[in-house]
Amino acid sequence: MNRALRRISIAVLVMFVLLLINDNYLQGFEAASLATKPGNSRAFYAAQNQYERGSILTSDGLTIAASRLSGPNDVIKYQRYYPKGAEYAPVTGYDTLYSQTGIEQAENPLLSGNDSALDVRKIIDLITGKTTRGANVTVTINSAAQNAAWNALATLTQGKPGAVVALNPSTGAILAMASYPSYNPDLLAVHDGNKLIANDNALLKAPGNPLLNRAINSSFPPGSTFKIVTSSAYLSRTAGSSTQSSVYSPTVLTLPNGNSLHNNDGEACSVGTGHTTLITAFAESCDTTFANLGVQLGSAAIRNYADLFGMNDQNLTIPLLASPSNYPLLTDKSLTALSAIGQYNDTVTPLQEAMLSAAIANHGALMRPYLVQQITASDLSTVQTTTPTMLQQTVSPTVAGEIGQMMLAVVQDSDGTGYQFNQNAEGVTIAGKTGTAQNGVNNSAASDSVFTCYAPFDNPQIAVGVIVQGGGYGATVAAPIAVQVIKAYLAYLRTK
Amino acid sequence: MLVFAFALVAFAFANVGYSLKGKLPSGLAEYMAAFIVIVLVGHLALRRFAPWADPLLLPLAAMLNGLGIVMTYRLAAQGNLLSAPLSASATDIQILYSAIGIACFVAVLAFVREPRVLQRYTYTLGALGIALIALPALLPGSISEVAGAKIQIRLGSFTIQPEEFAKLALAISFAGYLVAKSQALALVGRRVLGIGLPRARDLGPILMVWAASLLLLVFESDVGTSAVFMGLFVAMLYIATSRTSWLLLGFFMFVVGAFAASKLFTHVGQRFEVWLHPFSGSNPSGIAFQPDQGLYGMASGGLLGKGLGGGQPYITPLVQSDYVISAFGEELGLAGIMAILLIYGLIVQRGLSTAMLVKDPFSKLLAGGLSFMLALQVFVIVGGVTRLIPITGITTPFLSQGGSSLVASWMLIALLARLSDTARRPPPRSIQEEGLTQVVRLQ
Repeated sequence: MNRALRRISIAVLVMFVLLLINDNYLQGFEAASLATKPGNSRAFYAAQNQYERGSILTSDGLTIAASRLSGPNDVIKYQRYYPKGAEYAPVTGYDTLYSQTGIEQAENPLLSGNDSALDVRKIIDLITGKTTRGANVTVTINSAAQNAAWNALATLTQGKPGAVVALNPSTGAILAMASYPSYNPDLLAVHDGNKLIANDNALLKAPGNPLLNRAINSSFPPGSTFKIVTSSAYLSRTAGSSTQSSVYSPTVLTLPNGNSLHNNDGEACSVGTGHTTLITAFAESCDTTFANLGVQLGSAAIRNYADLFGMNDQNLTIPLLASPSNYPLLTDKSLTALSAIGQYNDTVTPLQEAMLSAAIANHGALMRPYLVQQITASDLSTVQTTTPTMLQQTVSPTVAGEIGQMMLAVVQDSDGTGYQFNQNAEGVTIAGKTGTAQNGVNNSAASDSVFTCYAPFDNPQIAVGVIVQGGGYGATVAAPIAVQVIKAYLAYLRTK
Repeated sequence: MLVFAFALVAFAFANVGYSLKGKLPSGLAEYMAAFIVIVLVGHLALRRFAPWADPLLLPLAAMLNGLGIVMTYRLAAQGNLLSAPLSASATDIQILYSAIGIACFVAVLAFVREPRVLQRYTYTLGALGIALIALPALLPGSISEVAGAKIQIRLGSFTIQPEEFAKLALAISFAGYLVAKSQALALVGRRVLGIGLPRARDLGPILMVWAASLLLLVFESDVGTSAVFMGLFVAMLYIATSRTSWLLLGFFMFVVGAFAASKLFTHVGQRFEVWLHPFSGSNPSGIAFQPDQGLYGMASGGLLGKGLGGGQPYITPLVQSDYVISAFGEELGLAGIMAILLIYGLIVQRGLSTAMLVKDPFSKLLAGGLSFMLALQVFVIVGGVTRLIPITGITTPFLSQGGSSLVASWMLIALLARLSDTARRPPPRSIQEEGLTQVVRLQ
């Protein structure tokens, strides 16, 4: 037995020697290459909490995310907090122990102070003995517009989920980005891992999915607001066309596959003669007219203009990645008819809704939407500034003017779908398009309420896209929210 | 020796406090006092019940246990950062487990006055071992499942991992059976491929015990422990029969079994994938996340470590249990890991030399088996974390946070102490004058 035991001892010795050699290799020789592996977050985490994190401010100077010293028993030096909580959560995102979202994620290297752009300033800080801080990020959000959007969503929708995006049409700056329901990012900034997990789980299970930023990451059927795209295709592609062109507008349209398409509630379009002007059909939002135009134009032409307005773009970053809005290319003519009125598989984000109006308001030039205005280092020197850039010319200025006229008719014609709410606009001339997007199997679910608009009509300052999930008519639910945002922003501009 | 162990643990405690809070930890005196009392109780019991036992065993084990408590304290100090958060009371609980461990250590020494007593319970302990392993598999997942493996029993807020105790029961049972049948097993039944196999009726029962334990472990998704059982079984068979063919056969069967398991069970296949390609594709953020983080931690420790409290071991998921060695590697560096491995190596060496010294075959086999099992367990988990072999989640004896492993490890030390006491006890003096028939007390 002792011979076997001696051999077992040698085997054990070999095992331990192997462990020692392997660990020498791992911690001695391989350590340097492991330290620089992309998945190695140890250096990153050490740096993440090294400096006081920079603040996030609105363009008018309201602090929406900041850091302060943690309590005495906290192992992490600085505590992140969000003074405006849920209202700005879609903008700021959150900064947890482990991860970030929103601007906190997109600008993390600069906010945390680890971006190489700050290296020179860090050396200066070292020499002058100043404490290094992360850079401050100024977003394009206007606090008046954001507050109006958030309050309107919270009070005017009876708790239905919805989102608002407001753009400056001539620059693409995002003036408001609100999503309802939302969450308080403070809940996820806690340093207690148990609390973090509990809060995260509670938010994941909460009704209405508050963690979802509907403004850019959720898409809905655009309904009749898509008629802006169909009209763009028609006016651009049809020689001699204008807002006064006579278009086929029956009460019931027989689709190529034999099915019948009715207008909303089976109403006649205009006076029911079967033909009317394009502007009247647009103002009254006649589905038969635009479905018929869709069949005439074909899916490829519509898709071309949908793309120009920014749809089907997988890579739109503001710098948060926006979910694509979709207009799928169709071969079936009857489905093309439905797609031309924003049904079937068309989906848009609230951001896309705002981009539709912004392009029309800016003479057809679609500006790239952006959320970060400026980043300043702790010594107040500018690290980076966003210069507005054009995404592309969507339609000619002439066509844009014509569509603008039609959008004005929506709210100013006594038969326009937006006429009834125009009384509340009080001295602001708004041009817009309503949408009431049918939903669910056989359209059984409540319709989504959609509205896209810009104002003032003769000198556009703001373009707004609103979607309220299951809200009902675009004119009664979504449009009043847009009016609140417009009024608040224009009032802010007057005081400046 | 004990004083040295106490000083080392106290120093480590103070180190954690200074590093994390800039002052001595508030509970230091209480923790140290509790630890010293617990170990001294063990020491006195050893003096009383096994005075000839190897004097190194208790200090070595106490040192590891103390380091484990310090690491629990250190991780609990930043317990909110862990993937499975530790509360501040984790240190108290770990000290309580140490007390229970020493109590069991004392109990084993007190009740097992002669190793051969255990031989009587060969079949009882075998059945107990199987029952302990089978228990979590038979219980509903709500009380037994953790992270996909059914290896524990949850009683309120306490959990017991019965397999830790099953290891000891089965080691004793194997030893008893193999001693009784060693002659028969050495007989060659028939030769297959040039390797002599014993007769089936001699081997049958033990093969059944072994196969049952392996099957149950596979059913419970606990690969690491089955590897330890397999190694224990083969090593003891080899010690009992001195037949090299058993080693070859066992090794061959293990490789085939591991290969088959990697193809049959996705979670076993993943272990191989993680081992071979820890940094490719989506592995670093997916199945290899934990092993990679463990490696990064050890790498960031380098030669001398970040110092206790200076690293970020909390990034590695479950660092307090399976990956505790990576936390030591991160904060104590290569130097610390080598020291810890040498402590383990010394315990194993003391156990094996006991096996050499002791006369009676049962004790020999048991001492050899237990020592080898401890060595294998360290090899499997430390080798797994450092990517010498594929990772299989088992506890690191004495160091991992948690009770069952600690208590079972103390019982193992108690058995080794009892065996070494027997081995080193001087032969009884003759009790009669010359000229008469000498009466010798038989071992």
